[in-house]
Amino acid sequence: MTTSFKLPLKKGSNIVGKWKNGLYRVERLLGEGANGKVYLVSKDWQWYALKIGASSIDLQSEINALKALAGEQTSSSPYLKDVDDWITPQGKEVPFYTMRYVKGMNMADYIAQHGTDWFPLLGLNLLRGIGELHRANWIFGDLKLENIIVGEYGDVDLIDFGGATPIGKGVKQFTEIYDRGYWNEGSRSADAAYDIFSFGVLCLQVFAPRKLAQLSKELLPQNRSAEQLLALVTDIPPLIPYRKWLELAFKGGFSHGKEAAAAWRAVAHQRKPAVKSKATPRWLKVMITISIISLSITASLYALDYAGLLR
Amino acid sequence: MKQILIITDGCSNVGMSPIVAAAHAKSEGITVNVVGVVDHGDLGEYGASEIHEIARAGGGLSRLVQAKELAQTVQMMTRKTVVQTIQLAVQRELQAVLGNDSIEALPPEKRGEVVKVMDELTETSTLQVALLIDASASMKPKFASVEESIQDLMLSLQAREGKSEIAVFHFPGSKQEDCVLDLAWTTQLKGVRSIFPKLHLSGTTPTGPAIMKVVEYFVQHSHSKDRSEMEGMLGDDVV
Repeated sequence: MTTSFKLPLKKGSNIVGKWKNGLYRVERLLGEGANGKVYLVSKDWQWYALKIGASSIDLQSEINALKALAGEQTSSSPYLKDVDDWITPQGKEVPFYTMRYVKGMNMADYIAQHGTDWFPLLGLNLLRGIGELHRANWIFGDLKLENIIVGEYGDVDLIDFGGATPIGKGVKQFTEIYDRGYWNEGSRSADAAYDIFSFGVLCLQVFAPRKLAQLSKELLPQNRSAEQLLALVTDIPPLIPYRKWLELAFKGGFSHGKEAAAAWRAVAHQRKPAVKSKATPRWLKVMITISIISLSITASLYALDYAGLLR
Repeated sequence: MKQILIITDGCSNVGMSPIVAAAHAKSEGITVNVVGVVDHGDLGEYGASEIHEIARAGGGLSRLVQAKELAQTVQMMTRKTVVQTIQLAVQRELQAVLGNDSIEALPPEKRGEVVKVMDELTETSTLQVALLIDASASMKPKFASVEESIQDLMLSLQAREGKSEIAVFHFPGSKQEDCVLDLAWTTQLKGVRSIFPKLHLSGTTPTGPAIMKVVEYFVQHSHSKDRSEMEGMLGDDVV
């Protein structure tokens, strides 16, 4: 297939727009999506993320999605800055577009560095971002770890809109393990619940990537299900308060990102006192359990005795 | 729009050249895609180059993958081919109207409009995909993956707005037939527990003759009544 895109762009290379003459200096490669590569570039002392692709049609389709979202004035619109073509030194014409550059790291790394306390907030911010897309009648589609950037103080940004799809159409781009259809939990038609399902898988991916990979590898296709995903939650303490929420997410129980965010928020806020009250030591719990059991045995013996059944 | 998707793990060894057969398919307006499953390594260099040649002659794509990547690959190739077919047709229209050689010659703003139309066509055009599965003995351990990939393809196609149908064939048949129809044109696989019940995997690989049979099937079952306006616009040689 001709999707792979080989174009070595070294630090210091210049990219010049054919139509608008914008001059961008390449700093480094930021990442790679299905439709092209994303570079960190500078222009007039400003940083931008520049996406450059082999197919002008695939890239343009992504640009259209970004424009449609920007038109709706959603704060998560990734701030499309410039769209142009570049004629490479080899004479090849390649399309590119630039976006706001978001400095940050991937969600799993962020949590590893700053602690699981951040997780509820990251989840909430992400769900709100998705909710804004839903309000504009789009879904993100290819929601996964690689397409999310966490900035300072838990700011969350969506990057790579290659999977963005208008609600009601077939999801344009997806990643198997995050896909509702792959887990036999519904269609690949774009609806808000599709994104929220992927968000649920993302939670597992953040805390138990190996177990998730193992699960998808071992299960027969017809046995993949929400129940199997939920079974993983039991071993992930930060997710246990969200078990109910995740069940709804995997079962299509939320019909809008906003609704999902509100439910998430409710869990995040009620969770705090529960954390503080974990002071009950385990030995004490065991003792209490034993005394309850012995008490009930004694009580029932008395009851039986009273009823005259032991004689 | 018509596509044949071949899943094989080896070289053809009986009957007419599969490359010629693929060229026939193309001349009937059918795109031929080929996936080579490389799991146990009996494909070889010759087999790999044959796979690429079949796809080239059939105007389609080719890929060599592990069995576990089949579902993702089949689904993606089908989609890519739809996009490409639309792209070719639109590009031809543009050339006729504007004298431009490609969509890249349009300034980015205009390009946006054209691509919007193309995306719409990609989503709404009617589509028929005939899957042609190599049932030679070496394919046996890969059949679970093949079946999964067909189910998965149906799932993706059902999400499209346009009518999408698949048919499934395997080759060769147990009684020396070049190819056997397992599943006639259908828009859903609900209730189909197994597409290949009691398959007798045989030794030969008559890829070329099997392709010709599938082309015939397309010709016999072409839905002239189903042709939408959009397909008229795309022109006879494309759809």
